[in-house]
Amino acid sequence: MDIDLARHAQDGDESAFAEIVRRYSPRVFSVASRFFRQRSLVEEAAQEVFLKAFTQLGSFEGRGSLEGWLTRIATNTCLNMLRGSKRRPELTVSDLSEEEDRWLEQQMAEIEQPSVENNLVAADLADRLLSVLSPEDKQALLMIDGEQASIKEVAEATGWSESKVKVRAFRARKKIREAMERLLNSKREVSSEAR
Amino acid sequence: MNEKHITEVLDNAALASLSASELEEIRAHARICEACASAFAAAKVSAVVIMERAQVAIEPSPFFQTRVMAALREQQAAESVPAFSRLWKSARALVSSMALTTAVLAALSFMISAPATITSDQTASAFSAESVILGQDGDDQLTYEQVLNAIYTDDEDK
Repeated sequence: MDIDLARHAQDGDESAFAEIVRRYSPRVFSVASRFFRQRSLVEEAAQEVFLKAFTQLGSFEGRGSLEGWLTRIATNTCLNMLRGSKRRPELTVSDLSEEEDRWLEQQMAEIEQPSVENNLVAADLADRLLSVLSPEDKQALLMIDGEQASIKEVAEATGWSESKVKVRAFRARKKIREAMERLLNSKREVSSEAR
Repeated sequence: MNEKHITEVLDNAALASLSASELEEIRAHARICEACASAFAAAKVSAVVIMERAQVAIEPSPFFQTRVMAALREQQAAESVPAFSRLWKSARALVSSMALTTAVLAALSFMISAPATITSDQTASAFSAESVILGQDGDDQLTYEQVLNAIYTDDEDK
């Protein structure tokens, strides 16, 4: 039982806390991966999550799952870590790498060529597009549009109200779609000038 | 819906969550509206990149648990040092005042006990023969030996 594990860990049983880390680190890493791409940053965030969790074990009352409780700590920890970071300016055609440029051309021509490399290019492009958003908006968009989470699930993971989640997701979706539209239009212009 | 612009529909929900009929209506409108066709194309590419980004998940390394446990022990050790310094901070004033009081008491007791250590000869020289004879120094408190010393020392000096 989660609550027993939490109580034992709180009473100083190191093996109980080690078990919590072992059991829930994949979940915490998955949350942190939403915010960071570098392994070192994901590990740093995950470690911070468990250290915080250890000091707050007394506040876990066992009403929800330990996983849900840790997810919330993970989300807030990552958001705090990102709060001070600067947002990047919007991505333009000149910022695109050769691979990203090629990948976008394939998308515009509606040619789907799924491969590990192409998936990574798309993920990199997403990171650069999403960096114009606030960490909170990015979180809402990635959970709903990327992981097919429901509004309620996002609200539970973040502690925001459902209406706040909807507003954040709408705002983020619109901003990314408009940025992508500008990128595609300028790419079309560059291509037509080249011809 | 064919006449209505579709941008709000595109921004309201994830593209993947729209039903087949909703998607068909969007496509139908995009065929007759250039602006919405461009928005729809951008929404489709955005949806793909977001899905790909969401697939990226870094797995914990096999050493992660050990690393966390080591960090936890380090944190607990670091916390115990400030606890001692916090205790010292609050007790410092009390300890200092106690040390000062002890020093003052030691000094006072040394000063008070110092005359008792001098010899009876030295004590006697502090009284003149006249004052002893006239009883001006409260000779009741002087010993017989001190009185004799005071008188003979005075005589020898003369």
